[in-house]
Amino acid sequence: MVDVAMVGAGQTKFGNHPLGLKGMWAEAIEKAVLSVDNGFDSTDVEEAFIGSIAFGGSQLGNTAALLTEHSGMGGVSVRRVENACASSGFALRDAWMAIKSGQADVVVAGGIEKMNDLSASRKRYWLGVSGDTEWERLAGLTFPGTYALTARRYFHEFESTHDDLVHVSVKNHMHGFENEAAHLRKQVSFEKAQSGFMVADPLTLYDCCPTSDGASAVILVADHIAHKFTDTPVWVKGSGAGSDHLALHDRPSITQLRATQSAAAKAYKNAGVTANDIDLAEVHDCFTIAEVLATEDLGFAGRGLGGTFAREGEGRRNEGSVTINASGGLKSKGHPLGATGTGQAVEIFKQLRHQVEPERQVRDAELGLTHNVGGSGATCAVHVFGRQR
Amino acid sequence: MMSIQIISNDEQYFAYSNYGGAWAGPDGDRLTILLALLKQLPAGSINLHRFEQHLDFTPSVDVQEIIESSTEWRVDDKAVLYVHSNKNQYVVAITTSHDEPNWPSIDTIAFDADMKSQLDEQWRIEVEGVSQGAYVSQAQHATATPFRLGLQAQVDRDQVVWPPRHLNASGQRIESSDRQLSETATILSWTRLSAAGAPSEFSGRAPILNGVSTVLVQFDEGPKGVFMLTDDGEMSPKIDAVVHFDIRRLYGQDGMMHYGLKAILSDS
Repeated sequence: MVDVAMVGAGQTKFGNHPLGLKGMWAEAIEKAVLSVDNGFDSTDVEEAFIGSIAFGGSQLGNTAALLTEHSGMGGVSVRRVENACASSGFALRDAWMAIKSGQADVVVAGGIEKMNDLSASRKRYWLGVSGDTEWERLAGLTFPGTYALTARRYFHEFESTHDDLVHVSVKNHMHGFENEAAHLRKQVSFEKAQSGFMVADPLTLYDCCPTSDGASAVILVADHIAHKFTDTPVWVKGSGAGSDHLALHDRPSITQLRATQSAAAKAYKNAGVTANDIDLAEVHDCFTIAEVLATEDLGFAGRGLGGTFAREGEGRRNEGSVTINASGGLKSKGHPLGATGTGQAVEIFKQLRHQVEPERQVRDAELGLTHNVGGSGATCAVHVFGRQR
Repeated sequence: MMSIQIISNDEQYFAYSNYGGAWAGPDGDRLTILLALLKQLPAGSINLHRFEQHLDFTPSVDVQEIIESSTEWRVDDKAVLYVHSNKNQYVVAITTSHDEPNWPSIDTIAFDADMKSQLDEQWRIEVEGVSQGAYVSQAQHATATPFRLGLQAQVDRDQVVWPPRHLNASGQRIESSDRQLSETATILSWTRLSAAGAPSEFSGRAPILNGVSTVLVQFDEGPKGVFMLTDDGEMSPKIDAVVHFDIRRLYGQDGMMHYGLKAILSDS
């Protein structure tokens, strides 16, 4: 079967971006094209998959055609992919499958979201549209609440406290501090992160990712033409996806994400690797407790040991067993919903090609992983990338 | 602790909230008082008479549907038990006469008048607001009323199912059943939400109430659910604590008031 190579990747800075959808997408595509070593012509793209929630209702219909029209890809077969915060993780998977199936040789996957030009009340309204509306949201719960319930239950079931989440926050802010693309480039002390404003008890402001604007895109090609674009592609070695109940209360356990577990199992199997082989992982830390669960569900820590993993600094860059969120993660790099998944892939592309800022480089990185979750775990896409085919 | 106070004499029942006649509480009104009263009395048939004319807001579902979904009572315009509501106070009566009763004198119970005023205004703002799109259709909302207000459950291959689902893994339709979930449940987890952490439907009231609490509970029959906590005062929920349920205002939108079950700590 065809192997899939990533030959280009680019993204805007995440945060309060001065441009709108068309401008941000064009910037991400421009950077992705410029990152292709031997040059790239956008008219060669056969299929494009663009993840977006259409936050705020902006350009809810035909988003993808509008964006490709304004980025030199007019006429391409394109569609918007929507799976909440995992939208572009699934766009990446769809692109990977398009090449794997032999239907296309050159495919773009990306994502975009404009979140910071809305009033506070509209933003709050749209932040909860991807959960179970009828039985969860209208009973008083959106994502800060669902993850707060998860955190409290996790502390009840295992030897863990909120301080473990503080370690996650401090680490990700430390990683993101040096990332020029990050939304919140500031270091946070343990004491400050411990005493943040309470958003959803026990989660404070420092447990929550920011709402960011941003766009990201990657260029995938089939193995037989990869050499035309670069001598050092990053290979998409495995892809897996899963889903689960939207509502927390319908799940057998709220301290593990079955969608992550099944997606990871498939991705590892595709790639022929195990969790122990991964050198760095970009995981979906929309809330700090989500990173703790992810380290368990992805196999980096045993069940109930994600808190210990965080406390002992196992995810710190070049210090622990696997670097978790070298980019700063959603917590520091930012979370422009639809752009997050392929934004993670951009970080892995640069890390495996040694193209990040020198102080951020994960040493001897051969294998990377991305983990992109929709909602409180209703959908998940996991990808494994390698320097070697 | 009951969520209402009841006075009875000569086949007349009068009910009002724990805040007295001047206020039905942060999430109460004449309808929630009536529902609480009906649950205290042996079921029968009632004539709603002119009860609805004194409701503050139009309910999202017919009052008859709300009563019949959440209690054993039936609404019948030939019934000889009449429901009355006091125009000036949050007092509800059930009597055997269609004539307005002589309303009893009810002591004023001290409450935070400023909070009441802010909440009254917030409810009005909410009801006058319109959905921005992430809503539950009126058809779905109405269909689910017995499940939402009466904890009616489905049974699929001996498994109790709630909230309701359409098809099982074999593609067979899961039908409604006579099963009802127990009226108490155990807390699995809980959170207290600030305005920043609350859904937008509740974020206007959260700062007035100094936050709103939500609990994830499990019923004895197995299903789990999420409910807002009410009447918690200074009490904090705890994992493994038991709650019971009462119907209260949930949120207002599109000109209508939506009602739902809220959890009450059983020790309170």
